[in-house]
Amino acid sequence: MASRAGPGHDSSMWILITLLWRIMGRLLRRLGRGALLVPVAAMGMALAGVHIWTVALVLIALVVAFRKPLLAAALLPLSMVSAGLAGLVVAALTPGGTVGWVVNAVLAKPQAWFASPAKPGTLVHSGKVGSPVSWVVGGDGPVPWPPWVRLEVRPGKMAMLGQVLPVKPMVPPHAGHVIAMGATTKAAGWWQGRLLVPVALLLLTLGLWLASRMLAGLGARMAALLPELHRWLAKNRWALLLVPVVAVAMAAFGAHPWTIAVIIAAIIIVIRWPVIAADLVPVVLAVLAAYGFLIAANWQDAPAAIYPHAMPYGMVWVNGPKSALAAGAEASVFLAFGAWLVPRTIGAHLRTVFVRVPDTDLAGRVQRLTETRGHAVDAAAAELRRIERDLHDGAQARLVALGMNLRAVERVLPGSPNAALALVAEARESSVRALNELRNLIRGICPPVLADRGLGHAVQALALDTPLPTTLEIDLPGRPTPPVESACYFAVAEALANAVKHAGARSAQIRIRHAAGLLRIEVSDDGIGGADPALGTGLLGVERRLGTFDGILAVNSPPGGPTMVVMEVPCVLSSPKTSSC
Amino acid sequence: MRVVVAEDLFLLRDGLTRLLSAHDFEIAAAVDTAPGLLCALLEHRPDIAVVDVRLPPAFADDGLQAALAARREVPGLPVLLLSQYVEQLYARELLADQAGAVGYLLKDRVFSDDQFVDAIRTVAAGGTVMDPEVVTKLLGRRSHDEPIARLSAREREVLGLMAEGRSNTAIAQRLFVTEKAVSKHTTSIFTKLGLAADQDDNRRVRAVLAYLNS
Repeated sequence: MASRAGPGHDSSMWILITLLWRIMGRLLRRLGRGALLVPVAAMGMALAGVHIWTVALVLIALVVAFRKPLLAAALLPLSMVSAGLAGLVVAALTPGGTVGWVVNAVLAKPQAWFASPAKPGTLVHSGKVGSPVSWVVGGDGPVPWPPWVRLEVRPGKMAMLGQVLPVKPMVPPHAGHVIAMGATTKAAGWWQGRLLVPVALLLLTLGLWLASRMLAGLGARMAALLPELHRWLAKNRWALLLVPVVAVAMAAFGAHPWTIAVIIAAIIIVIRWPVIAADLVPVVLAVLAAYGFLIAANWQDAPAAIYPHAMPYGMVWVNGPKSALAAGAEASVFLAFGAWLVPRTIGAHLRTVFVRVPDTDLAGRVQRLTETRGHAVDAAAAELRRIERDLHDGAQARLVALGMNLRAVERVLPGSPNAALALVAEARESSVRALNELRNLIRGICPPVLADRGLGHAVQALALDTPLPTTLEIDLPGRPTPPVESACYFAVAEALANAVKHAGARSAQIRIRHAAGLLRIEVSDDGIGGADPALGTGLLGVERRLGTFDGILAVNSPPGGPTMVVMEVPCVLSSPKTSSC
Repeated sequence: MRVVVAEDLFLLRDGLTRLLSAHDFEIAAAVDTAPGLLCALLEHRPDIAVVDVRLPPAFADDGLQAALAARREVPGLPVLLLSQYVEQLYARELLADQAGAVGYLLKDRVFSDDQFVDAIRTVAAGGTVMDPEVVTKLLGRRSHDEPIARLSAREREVLGLMAEGRSNTAIAQRLFVTEKAVSKHTTSIFTKLGLAADQDDNRRVRAVLAYLNS
């Protein structure tokens, strides 16, 4: 048994590797290109450092890649482009042109002490990469980096410039009240410095290429979505403003997990609750304007009076009195725009809440449904009355006569067999007539070929029974539901009967096809024309019967002809019945 | 003469077998489903099959489909279809293989058993018997078919009666003319339809086919 331990260990490793390989292969096959989102996100994390929000992004990428592979594939080019751009930005913003690493920050001796408390996350100014520098938390001085690039130092940790590390003072006289310390930086290793830009460019190129490919596919899908998108935009165009407005507001505070979270929340609100998003736009604009007025009011000390350092306010970079006044002007624009939006967003919303504006679409639909339902009920009742009358006057009467005949036969049979024979013959005639009447009645309710084989064959049979040369073009890959089939059949029968009876046509043409959920039937003849659904009851009945299924009837019949009757009924086809013989 | 009867309603099946037995037909099988009919036809190879169009399992045109399937296996197998209604579409499908020996009658025609039995014998002998209702509808049609359009009214009448499966004698009786006059009409019909004189029966069938397919 013990001898197995060695090889067993090897083989278990092998099994593990094969297993991992297979899992990877299966994942890639199942998830497709979208799975690449995870390594891209991981690269982004390597660039931005390990933080709660970068880890969260990677986790989100993982979840998206697994749960929504299509979305992941769609996000992939976007993430690649943004990672590439971010890499370029980092490279561009890095003083000295190379990416630097802070080393041994804690080991360096503090060079100056400030009495003001400083917390992790405060801005650090720095010198040149590659030389020992003093990291000063707070205070004045030249600002070589934009405010969103910050440096914090954590004991014993290396960090790329632009990365944020919490400060832990080595030997603070008062805990938390440091802070300046010496730190040394050195240029990043050759591969970090040299690879950053090529990798960023590669990612950018790949991302753009993927995006161009995706846009082609997306175009087709968008075309399908376009009407819906149009409708959404028509209703919620102001909601879209929430995201830029919130982004402008958050830009003043810089890139923080919470500011990003607020922007993401704004996006979610726009998608999920567009009406609320639209209402929020003037509110956020008002708050933003108040902030701008505050900056302008303290213009002489701006921006220090409001915020510890320079910051953006909309399109203005607030770093002094002049820009503070410009921010005030911008705030007026924001407020005016917000005020202009109020009746279009909050006002409109309140109107729909307090004043019940009838939805015209819905009202029209309800009216149409009420009408067609009324027609359907009337037609069904009339049909039942007709059947009842036909049975009463026809088959039922014949059967009564038959019974009477047979009774008479009973009476006369013993006395005069010859008379009985005549009566029996009469009874047989009677039964034949009853059968004929029943047959015609059934044909009027449900034509046999229609029941047996569906609309295509039934129309074919109808054309054969019509004393008019009729050409057919039928393209029906399946069968509509029986009620639709029946309505269409009788519609064609009516149109064809009109062509024979009223139009004096010499030939007729029937076209039936089904495409994109719509059954379209054309019946045309070369007769004298002049057909009008409003004049005769026949076509009006057809129109009403088709209307029950949201179908329509259009008649084009100028005096002198020709006549074309077009019927369209939205319906789905069942798969064709497989005949088993 | 051996007969296979296919009819799903017991009363009618029973009535048909009694009627046929009374006229000295031998009932090879009496079935009530379309698959059963197909099996019986292929197994017994009867002299004629009397088939209801509407049969289980689908209660659509299963009987017709089974009969057509059997005729594909056994070309020219005589089949007489019975139905509560007659459809030209189905008549055409029966006639499509041009082999003759088909009939298509309303069920009511069973009432006059002599005519019914005549029809069975005609079909069994390779003739074609169409219900007068099919023929009437054909007469109402304005034909665009050139040879048929050239027939005179009387000739079309004679051809219609031929389609119903009537012999020259029966046609003469029906039209109150001599048999000789009828045969003159039939010769004229064959000439106008361009049917060469071979076997007389076959020519009648082909004339009827040309008429029904016009």
